[in-house]
Amino acid sequence: MSLNTLAQALVSGALLGCFYTLMALSFSMILGVTRGLNLAHGDLIILGGYLGYWLWSGSGLHPLFLVPVAAAALLPLALVWHWLFHRLPEPRELSSLVLTFGLSLLLQNIMLALWRGEYRLIASESLTGSLGLGGLRLNQGRLIVAAAALLVVGGLFLGLTRTRWGRAVRATSLDRDAAALLGINVDAATRTTFLLAFCLCGATGVLFATLHYLYPAGGIELTLLAIVLTIWAGVGRLRSVLAAGILLGVIEALTLAWSGPRWRELVVALMLLGSLLARSGGLARGWSH
Amino acid sequence: MRYRAWIGISLVAGVLLVLPPLTGFHPYYLYLVSTALLFGTVATSWNLLAYAGQISFGHAAFFGLGGYGAALASLAGLSPWLAIALGGGIGAVGAAGIGLASARLRGAYLALATLAYAEIWRGIAHNWTAVSGGGAGLIGIPPLPTLAWLPLDFTRGRAGSYYLSVAFLLVAIAVFAGVLHSRLGLAFAAVREEEERAGLLGVHPLPWKILAFALSGFFSALAGGLYVHMVRVVEPDLIFSRYFSILPLVMATFGGLHTLLGPAMAALGLYLVSELLLHPYVPAFHQLPYALALIVVVLYLPGGLATLLPSPRPSPQRGEGTQHGAT
Repeated sequence: MSLNTLAQALVSGALLGCFYTLMALSFSMILGVTRGLNLAHGDLIILGGYLGYWLWSGSGLHPLFLVPVAAAALLPLALVWHWLFHRLPEPRELSSLVLTFGLSLLLQNIMLALWRGEYRLIASESLTGSLGLGGLRLNQGRLIVAAAALLVVGGLFLGLTRTRWGRAVRATSLDRDAAALLGINVDAATRTTFLLAFCLCGATGVLFATLHYLYPAGGIELTLLAIVLTIWAGVGRLRSVLAAGILLGVIEALTLAWSGPRWRELVVALMLLGSLLARSGGLARGWSH
Repeated sequence: MRYRAWIGISLVAGVLLVLPPLTGFHPYYLYLVSTALLFGTVATSWNLLAYAGQISFGHAAFFGLGGYGAALASLAGLSPWLAIALGGGIGAVGAAGIGLASARLRGAYLALATLAYAEIWRGIAHNWTAVSGGGAGLIGIPPLPTLAWLPLDFTRGRAGSYYLSVAFLLVAIAVFAGVLHSRLGLAFAAVREEEERAGLLGVHPLPWKILAFALSGFFSALAGGLYVHMVRVVEPDLIFSRYFSILPLVMATFGGLHTLLGPAMAALGLYLVSELLLHPYVPAFHQLPYALALIVVVLYLPGGLATLLPSPRPSPQRGEGTQHGAT
């Protein structure tokens, strides 16, 4: 592998990492406020992607305009998920896994029924150009996606650290009972977290559909990636999530450069198993801000 | 309760044995019921593992290992009977492997590890083209041979695999019943309820966990081996599909965790309702019952999944006596 290929892989990996950060944040936010793992996370992103594709192929609008539309379209599902997660029995982590395993199956079936399992890509011409930068060639679409992801992550960072709402959400994830005793409306904080996280899923989905082909069973890989990132970064640590996301993106880009796309899914699953075994205390150990 | 359970088993077994002649050895119905019985076997083996407190999200790994093992052995010229048994052994080893590797993981994290394990095998099957045939898989797997000493109708075509799947389910149930009524069952329950205290009392948890994984993997892999001899092809996305991880979990939790017959009953009921009543009319939504059953169990089952994990304090309903009954 030449130095140029390596540099190319590192840069495109870092760009992809910004996108992964965006994807993992919504998973980690829900885990934070509910202690529930949403295994249907990737399927929701794919659903957002399919909605984006459907609107794009119908209207021909620039994909970036469709990001807010797909984000808003998932809001009703956020309320359903919130209702279900609110009723989870103990142990919450395990019962949320079981519940969302079923929901993931349901979403996949709905997508299969609506889009018949065909591979779809938002192949907008406005995203296909590439820019040269000192010998490196950067795909314009990837740059836009990375910029959009960074923008959202930055906005979320400000929202969580600088606003009353953000303090309420962080307090709820740290200790739900203590937060409630201090007069924080934990239910409202949880509900708004779900609404925001689902908006992010929808938005992520449209961005994803411009990078990768969509297919109904493709969600599991995204869910596994989100879990890997959450294990690496700990819950609620925004800067660590960004660092972990970029690291993961670079690892993936290097895997692709070395051995081709066939090994991608296997590497993701191996990373998940390895991370779980290495961190056998569970996710809760990294619970801080 | 126990007598009623045995009467129930005998009745259902009797119906299952006379079903093929009654349907005139109809290939489609035999295939359908055989598949339901195989799911019943996998659900029973899932439940055996859950009895030892280990919740698996990756039984597709064991099912698929059995499938690939049996398919490769059959294609290499081994008799399908031996090939299926060999597949069972491979599944048992594969299951013991993940049980050993994830010895320190509990609850949700063990579940995630098993989920990753199934995805890893799917990835290996996709990439190890020389052995697994890659994404296209393997074709030309022979059917089960007929037996000369039995009437031809009972062993040829779908009927042979049908009777073998009945046998697998009955053996799996018998083994689970044996476990429940032996010291092994007590050890499993001790590992499930109070892992640390069991260790202090001299029941070292790890060997029992690995044994539970191996037993569970063995029966799931037998089912997988028979399945590939029924459909006669094997592909990574078919046999390592998450479908084979979700369905046993749904069936066992819906039928009643830790009960002897619940998972098998739920497997037959849910699978046949889905395939016979929903598939012809609303094909896109024929998997709806599984998702709904799961949601109902998680949200409304008394005690929920808490019975799976060490409880903070002992509860009287969970004594040994109540767990032996059927459904």
